[in-house]
Amino acid sequence: MATMDEVYAERKAKAEAMGGPEKLARRRAAGVLNARERVDRLVDAGTFIESGLFGTSGSRPEDHDRSPADGKVAGFGKIDGRECAVVANDFTVMGASSGATNGRKIGHMKRVATSRGLPIVFLGESSGARMPDHMGARGMGALLGNDPTQYARMRETPWASATLGLSYGSSSWYAVLSDFCVLRKGAVLAVSSAQLASLAIKEDVDPQVMGGWQVHAEVTGFADYVAETDEEALQAIRTFLSYLPSHHKEAPPVHPVPEGSGANMANIAKLLPERRTQVYDVRTIIRAFVDAGSFFELKPRFAKVAVTGLARLDGRTVGIVANNPLARGGAMDTDACEKITSFLVLCDSFNIPIVMLVDNPGFSIGVEAERRRAPGKIMNFMQALQLCTVPKISIILRKSYGQAYLNMGGGRNSDEVAAWPTAEVSFMDPTFAVKIVHGLSPGEPGFDEAFAQMNKDSEAWGIAAIYAVQSVIQPHETRDYLIRMLDVHRQRLTNGVGEHLMRAWPTSF
Amino acid sequence: MATIQIKAEVAGSVWKIVTAIGDTVEPGGTLMILESMKMEIPVIAEDGGKVEKFTVAETEAVNEGQVVAVLTK
Repeated sequence: MATMDEVYAERKAKAEAMGGPEKLARRRAAGVLNARERVDRLVDAGTFIESGLFGTSGSRPEDHDRSPADGKVAGFGKIDGRECAVVANDFTVMGASSGATNGRKIGHMKRVATSRGLPIVFLGESSGARMPDHMGARGMGALLGNDPTQYARMRETPWASATLGLSYGSSSWYAVLSDFCVLRKGAVLAVSSAQLASLAIKEDVDPQVMGGWQVHAEVTGFADYVAETDEEALQAIRTFLSYLPSHHKEAPPVHPVPEGSGANMANIAKLLPERRTQVYDVRTIIRAFVDAGSFFELKPRFAKVAVTGLARLDGRTVGIVANNPLARGGAMDTDACEKITSFLVLCDSFNIPIVMLVDNPGFSIGVEAERRRAPGKIMNFMQALQLCTVPKISIILRKSYGQAYLNMGGGRNSDEVAAWPTAEVSFMDPTFAVKIVHGLSPGEPGFDEAFAQMNKDSEAWGIAAIYAVQSVIQPHETRDYLIRMLDVHRQRLTNGVGEHLMRAWPTSF
Repeated sequence: MATIQIKAEVAGSVWKIVTAIGDTVEPGGTLMILESMKMEIPVIAEDGGKVEKFTVAETEAVNEGQVVAVLTK
């Protein structure tokens, strides 16, 4: 008879063998990591403690022997020394389909993470609901809807997800519920499989066209980051979490300031073109004033007129929101509104101060903009900005016009507003104003007089003179100004913790 | 080899084409400059590639979303 040690070793080996050597070999040949390798690369070496290794499918006795860990590897590991909860789908076991046991495992991870203040990481690759467990009225009643808070996101702790293969059903839900969503090239994030979609709509569906990386990076905006490989995706999650606190009741961690930070400040003014009709990439300016190498852009291929990203100033996390004149002159459309709104919610929910860089000619207007609900999107953005309780600092680099002046933190919409001497602030182009108010175009009698009346001084000195910006700063002073002002506005009364008024804001758009 | 269609992000007119057929453009490189909203707006090849052809000429008007160049990679 086998000893207890032998039984334990045998059961453990069987659980850790996942879906068997053949399936694992096929993945290896395709250059794709398996669930356990992914966990190992995600967390610090030797820190993973598993929860539910001996769980198996609970619904049908015939599945007990072929469902190691019930297809989802769960547990706790440390990322840069900080405790995290992890759920990694094991596609080699019944397609990592959702079943009763692995549902309990996910529920436990979420409860522990939320109540103990740990970030949670979801590594997605799953076929959706397990069949036939979910079929029929009894299947539905037994397996679905038993957790009234399953999809209630209150942002108590950061959630990060990577979609690393075919992902349907709950894997996709957790991806879009997360604060950070990585897609690996080749993966698919969708409600259901292309095969099922084809059956439903009776036409062929290409999985990549339906839910591949390009769709989510450029069209839906769900993907914050696109990775070439599993390894890069897992590293991106580690990087993202390095900017965030473990939970909403603490300030983000402080990192050492890398050497060379701010070394290019003397030349920052040269990054702005001489003529106001020329554009530039605002990301070169961001990279120049934040801590060296610390700018981590989110959704870089979505709504490129606006740049959003995490960075550090003097070792402390900041969220950067910037207009990017390089794309369409920086004129913000509805996608840009949604991109910025979701980023403001992220920053405010996790106590990250916000820095806004302004250079835009106003919102994109027109028939298409209205059909895409521009008034609603502009107000969602505005509401999010005004509900932020973290410190906000806005710097007007060049143009700031119309309603967009407010959305980008103008007036009392920031705790401090500074302008570069290159700033120009007004309500609209004076030529347009003459046309709208007087119906006159350039060259027509009376235009010149009307134009002189509309073409009021739009320079930084005017707005500084009435203290509607608090400071006019030289471009090379930007880094020092921001570090000092963020220090002035540090939330000392609450140890750097905000009020999180948007904690239940929808997680995607 | 993939074919990449480059589209204008804004309506405007083609001011200057700054690359030539057969050129290899780095990711993020500028193919041409449009004049729109009184500004010079670059058309950028996000992923780079080799310029196969232009579907517009200088001074021509372009619509938002119109294909202005084809690249291969």
